[in-house]
Amino acid sequence: MFAALSNPRQSLTQVLNFALVLSTAFMLWKGLSVATDSPSPIVVVLSGSMEPAFQRGDLLFLWNRGQNTQIGEIVVYNVKGKDIPIVHRVVRKYGGGDKPLKLLTKGDNNMADDTELYAKGQDYLNRSEDIIGSVVGYIPFVGYVTILLSEHPWMKTVLLGLMGIMVVLQRE
Amino acid sequence: MAASKIAVYSLSDLKNTTDDALPNYLTSLKFKQSHALTDVRLALSSTAVIIAAITFYADYKLGWDATKQGTFWAVIVYFILNGALTFWIWGVEKGKVFNGEGKDGALLSISSSTQKHSPIYYLKVKTSASITAAPTTSEISSSFTRWFDSDGYFVAKPFQQWLASEIAMIGEADPKSVEAAKKVREGYVELTDGDVKVVEKNEPQGSGSGKETPSKKIRERSRKNLKL
Repeated sequence: MFAALSNPRQSLTQVLNFALVLSTAFMLWKGLSVATDSPSPIVVVLSGSMEPAFQRGDLLFLWNRGQNTQIGEIVVYNVKGKDIPIVHRVVRKYGGGDKPLKLLTKGDNNMADDTELYAKGQDYLNRSEDIIGSVVGYIPFVGYVTILLSEHPWMKTVLLGLMGIMVVLQRE
Repeated sequence: MAASKIAVYSLSDLKNTTDDALPNYLTSLKFKQSHALTDVRLALSSTAVIIAAITFYADYKLGWDATKQGTFWAVIVYFILNGALTFWIWGVEKGKVFNGEGKDGALLSISSSTQKHSPIYYLKVKTSASITAAPTTSEISSSFTRWFDSDGYFVAKPFQQWLASEIAMIGEADPKSVEAAKKVREGYVELTDGDVKVVEKNEPQGSGSGKETPSKKIRERSRKNLKL
């Protein structure tokens, strides 16, 4: 490794190899975003409000093309001003066609619908603005890793550091 | 370059160390190394990384809706560059470790390769008198044991002697190594830690004290270093 410092091309190669690993992962994610037309095409279920359909830690795949959402579909939405995506089922719809489509959602495991959760003064979701996608597939439990990582931020630092050290030291 | 110890059973360690030593030796013989191939690779990969970095920053600052169109093109260009990079490494560079010219302007290009689980170093050597002249290609190979001692230290002399005696163009630039290699081959000398020492003539090949056996001194030393 120290020998590499005396050779600028070789050290640049090693730095770029590491950067390429990170940037390829990021661009694959962005490519998936572009393909699904969703800012976040894969989300992890954070609460138990959709049990028994989805458990905490399930990994969901979203699709955001085709705006004609039907009652019974499970959608993921972002509430204005809050940064946490919520996974709930559509129970009522208004408008559609020429008029903007408005949706009311409810968690399967919740007693009441989501009006309480929406932003102040909002009593429905706007399909084109609030929804980030409909659920088209899921893998149970594997998303639990990210729940652990977000609840214990030091794990992220450790993981990233280890990856960096490995790539710099190895030349495979 | 400081000599460092490697694991003798790791093929990639053997190859990488040798790959690094080869251009060092040739540049010490006043061969002029051309970095054009490497520079194209570095340009491709850094452009790709910069595009990804800009996409990341724009997404972070402006959000998804504002950057959607730009992200679409960035993704396309990024993967085109990545494809070009892969093609460059596998199709054009092909394991090239040295590309350059000698004193009289003759061109020399050397690619190295190994085969899985086999400690043999293969070199593909392409030489031509000038850019317009037809190139001659030759392939040479040798066991890594020739220039690594049993402790995993790279020994430059036998490696240089091997190159100088096998590749005429290098031999012309380093006649001393050719001479030394000839003596070793004829069995008049035995290799030690890098110097050539004249000893009694060996028995013909097969007696176990051929050119590829580490010297007694090195063997003694490694036995002493063995911790049980």
